[in-house]
Amino acid sequence: MLGSVVSIHQFPHMPTSRCWRQKSTVVRCCVRAEERLRTKKKKKKKNYYELLGVCVDSTNQEIKEAYRKLQKKYHPDIAGKKGHEYTLMLNQAYKVLMREDMRRDYDASIGQLRVSFGPDLGHSSWKGPFRPQALFVDENACIGCRECVHHASNTFMMDEALGCARVRVQYGDDDTKLEVSVESCPVNCIHWVDREELPVLELLIRPQPKQGHGIFGQGWERPKNVFMAAKAFHKQLKQEATHHQSNAQETVEKETPAQAEARENASMKLKMEKSSGIWKWVYEILGQ
Amino acid sequence: MAEPTYTVASDSETSGVEKSSSASQEVAIGIDLGTSHCSVAVWNGSQVELLRSRNQKLMRSYVTFKDDTPSGGVSNQLSQEYEMLSGAAIFNIVRLIGRVDTDPVVHASKSLPFLVQTLDIGVRPFIAALVNNMWRSTTPEEVLAIYLVELRAMAEMQLKRPVRNAVLTIPVSFTRFQLTRMERACAMAGLHVLRSMPEPTAVALLYAQQQNVVQESTVSASEKIALIFNMGAGYCDVALTATAGGVSQIKALSGSAIGGEDMLQNLMHHLLPNMDSLFSGHRINEIKSMGLLRVAIQDAIHKLSSETSVQVDVDLGNGTKICKVVDREEFEEVNKNVFEKCETLIKQCLRDAKTDVEDVNDVILVGGCSSIPKIRNLVLGTCKSETINTEMNPWEAAVRGAALEGAIASGVSDPLGSLDLLTIQVIPKSIGIRAEGNTFVPIINRNTTMPSRKDLTFTTAHDNQAEALIIVYEGDEKSVENNTLLGYFKITGIPPAPKGVPEINVGVDIDTSNVLRVFAGVLIPGTQQPVNPFMEVRMPTVDDGHGWCAEALLRKYGSTVALVPVQKKIQQ
Repeated sequence: MLGSVVSIHQFPHMPTSRCWRQKSTVVRCCVRAEERLRTKKKKKKKNYYELLGVCVDSTNQEIKEAYRKLQKKYHPDIAGKKGHEYTLMLNQAYKVLMREDMRRDYDASIGQLRVSFGPDLGHSSWKGPFRPQALFVDENACIGCRECVHHASNTFMMDEALGCARVRVQYGDDDTKLEVSVESCPVNCIHWVDREELPVLELLIRPQPKQGHGIFGQGWERPKNVFMAAKAFHKQLKQEATHHQSNAQETVEKETPAQAEARENASMKLKMEKSSGIWKWVYEILGQ
Repeated sequence: MAEPTYTVASDSETSGVEKSSSASQEVAIGIDLGTSHCSVAVWNGSQVELLRSRNQKLMRSYVTFKDDTPSGGVSNQLSQEYEMLSGAAIFNIVRLIGRVDTDPVVHASKSLPFLVQTLDIGVRPFIAALVNNMWRSTTPEEVLAIYLVELRAMAEMQLKRPVRNAVLTIPVSFTRFQLTRMERACAMAGLHVLRSMPEPTAVALLYAQQQNVVQESTVSASEKIALIFNMGAGYCDVALTATAGGVSQIKALSGSAIGGEDMLQNLMHHLLPNMDSLFSGHRINEIKSMGLLRVAIQDAIHKLSSETSVQVDVDLGNGTKICKVVDREEFEEVNKNVFEKCETLIKQCLRDAKTDVEDVNDVILVGGCSSIPKIRNLVLGTCKSETINTEMNPWEAAVRGAALEGAIASGVSDPLGSLDLLTIQVIPKSIGIRAEGNTFVPIINRNTTMPSRKDLTFTTAHDNQAEALIIVYEGDEKSVENNTLLGYFKITGIPPAPKGVPEINVGVDIDTSNVLRVFAGVLIPGTQQPVNPFMEVRMPTVDDGHGWCAEALLRKYGSTVALVPVQKKIQQ
């Protein structure tokens, strides 16, 4: 019950509001803007993270800053009446993402997994809206020449402990600078990857503590080929998912011995009752 | 008027074309229309400038009805206080506007030196000025309109251009009904209210600008949390705002109709306990004594801000003489209830904003009452703070903020970035409808960010109920009687069904110009499709005498067209 209440309140601007818009006779913003808005809605429904242009694991502070920045652009005081609908969505997104409990529910509803790492554990943040491609440094290959940091200092950073470069902010600099920095890498270890791939790659490239035997073999390791490892990781995820599903089905079908016993008993009783009924009837006939 | 072309102000792209287009646009003026004083300011292209009338930035808010032509405090040079006492001057209008005669604030206004009569039946009070020994009735709207006409003429003279649009500051505790009365008065004076902003939020905008200058314009600049306390003659408002990079985000508002006027009346009653019976007849000489007493005590209160005790010496002319020394402790004791209320408002605001006192970086104190030592101590004490922000001029902060908002909302962009500002407002009072008998069911809660839209589903209270009455209220009380009625409309064509089955969707939409719309319609169960097109109504719809309205509705319809909420809203 609670779940349904939550879901209704989370998307007040979705179905009902759209039918208001279509049916309402009062035209509130210019028709063209409304049409544009509607086509945009049809094309793709942005999730709250995309709307605010922040990454899924961004902190409250980052969300707040992104929200204010966008408000400065779209608030009706500045952008006029056409900013109304957009600001409504911004307000809704902000409200949900700023509250830990609502954000968790929302993450679940859009199927996002927000792993709570520390604030700075190798995941790059996004400047501006999400784009299909993202930058990724293969730290296995990086020789720590600092060329990329030199050319695009807002995007790349050096991890002094590991002696290699890393993407700090996606699109932190303009496109030409990024292009130059990618070109400048002497070992070609800066790759353009799909956005969906990025979190897994960034996770796997982090050195993990290695299981040791006694004092031998301890230390840190990471996959030799991170792209292969990512593929394997995805495959494993998929397998796990199907496995989980089949598990779930099994639990539905299987019943405990106690339940089986109870069912057995119940059916026996039913039979007995039926037969006793017959006997009763026989006695009655005979008695008469 | 042509649709204004809006330009989006951004940090880097400010071309010369935009500048010229903004120069030709009409920039809205900011008006701070207070209970006792009024001021006007406008963005002159590079900064906010206060308009002066007869070399005064602050004009007293009153209108005198003399002979045929009434004249207001803008143009009229009073032979000072005396005319205020004659019964011909109407003042404290902002405290009276949009109130019915059962309102305690109206009752408290009976000691003003003009006629305020009540019948206690929920209609507008009878307000009249004494002109040639005869009562000339008037309304707060008329008085305000006369005043605003002069204000507008003054502004047009100085700006050498027509003035149409204005940003109005209003008290937080104003109901939407009161706001419509204000807007009507403005319309009568030929002014269009572009925005109405609660006074402390205007101050918050000015604060955002000051912070912007200090910290350079970066959104990532550290966020500052400020508590703004504004107390004038008629109202007390509190706001909590988080400011960073020129954006001031209001977190909570609270306010009440208490102010310097209450302190004045408390002290009057204290010094002349039988005041009400003495002045009940409203005869000319009585009015004169009432005025004399008012002026003497007003002076005393002003002096008490700088001195620890003051001598009140006044001859009321009817054989009563008051000759007494009042010290600060006595004054504070007499007004204990006022100070307590102020404290409650600050605490409520902090609680609503879910902010700890320790997190408040800045305390801003503005308004006419801000010079009272007890108020300063009380605000600092409640905020556990040592110092008060000294950059705010207590008299000019609100009007300057309003002028900034006027420039921003008119689409002006400043090449130097001093208008790269924004206040994100919240709604000061919950909006909801009547359901389950006399319960007020809020649809949008107070302190929700504007613009805002929300809907709730209700159902019928009776079998085969074909109609439902949507009665919209504003306020935060549990029972509808204690909230303000904003309007009502009927939705028809509910398909016959047992009670509890039909789904009636009621939505509320508030945009940034504070325009409230209520939508309602019947949904086909299980789908989100409406049976009939939704009805969309702009609120408030009620006119004067709305005190009667709710009662009449109840008598006529009882509960036959009542509603029941389907799901309780999750309490925020």
